[in-house]
Amino acid sequence: MRKSEFLSRHTPPGADLHPQWRVLSMGGVVSWLYSLGFIFRFADAWSQLYSYDRVSGKRVLQEGVIMPDFIQLLDNALLGFGLLAIVMIGFCIFYYTYHRQGSRSIYLMRRLPDRWELHRRCLSLPLLTATLCIAAAALLLLLYYGIYCLATPESCLRPGQWQMIWGIRS
Amino acid sequence: MIEIRQLSKSYAGKSALRNIDLCLPQGEIVGLFGENGAGKTTLMKCILNFLPHRGEILLDGESITSKNIARLSFATSEHSFFPNLTAQAHRDFYASHFPRFLDRRFQGLMEFFELPMHKALHGFSTGQKNQFEVILALSQGADYILMDEPFAGNDIFNREDFYKVLLGILEPNETILLSTHLIEEVSGFIGRALLLRHGSLVGDVSMAQLEETGQDLVGYIKQTWQYRPDRVGRALDELSGKEE
Repeated sequence: MRKSEFLSRHTPPGADLHPQWRVLSMGGVVSWLYSLGFIFRFADAWSQLYSYDRVSGKRVLQEGVIMPDFIQLLDNALLGFGLLAIVMIGFCIFYYTYHRQGSRSIYLMRRLPDRWELHRRCLSLPLLTATLCIAAAALLLLLYYGIYCLATPESCLRPGQWQMIWGIRS
Repeated sequence: MIEIRQLSKSYAGKSALRNIDLCLPQGEIVGLFGENGAGKTTLMKCILNFLPHRGEILLDGESITSKNIARLSFATSEHSFFPNLTAQAHRDFYASHFPRFLDRRFQGLMEFFELPMHKALHGFSTGQKNQFEVILALSQGADYILMDEPFAGNDIFNREDFYKVLLGILEPNETILLSTHLIEEVSGFIGRALLLRHGSLVGDVSMAQLEETGQDLVGYIKQTWQYRPDRVGRALDELSGKEE
């Protein structure tokens, strides 16, 4: 199914989709930039694992030093994507109320033989967008976790980092 | 046939419809009359299942659900089209959702009323919007066409054109339930009149019955409503301070 065909079937007829695209694109960029906070916190913590040997001029891993937990460094870096997904609830409401603005097209939608048509047109795009936000957050979580695990010296890693993300204490 | 049994509806404890019993057989043009707030719109919305209600509404013996709702169409003065879409886009939308959409009728009526096909509805005049609303209701391919004051805002010539077209195009199986305040105008082409007052059905008469008794529709309605012609005179006297 082509994009335009998908949109014409899954959005309220005649609705202006620009506000949602604007929120999605701007919100996506801001959320991603905000998530980069993890990289800065990680780089700072990582540099503190090492001390500078003035004689050799090299970085030396300090003994017994432990990297802060991943969840601690992650903090609320992915919060933006969560908020963006929640904003989509507002778009669902907006699309439902659209059918009561300017005219009462809700009367037509509620008379359609396909009783799911109204809900499909009001919920599909916001739900798809919310899913994309959650997927983007999940991908970044995996990416940042990969960076954390690969770049942190093994001796500085506390076990059970992945479980800690989900609140499971090992 | 639409059968309405003991239909009642109230808004926040205030009764809008009281124990309505009514049958609408196929092939009738029925006028629905009543003062503002009498319950005309509420009755139509209950038939269309837009409002929760008490009582039973059956379409050929079955409840009205998504399975048979396409047999009902609705034209309202509030308008039920999409203001941002063109007439052409509405035609496509209706054709894809209503299997019995009457494309020839739609085209014919659009040409008759000289409505533009490729202009967004929000750019139409109020009269054109009303015409288009009725065109959609008539073209859906429904057996029962519910019209709630569809001509509010249209001029007399326009309305008369519509009445003539309506009489000319309706198939024998099509029923129209027309709510309007334009009693005299529609009295020439309706076959039956229903009168609502304070949510109750106070009158149900066929035009043939009225003809037999030699009474006209306006007279019948005034009599049924117990209209007091001296009311205005007395009110004016009181307002202008005249004393007997």
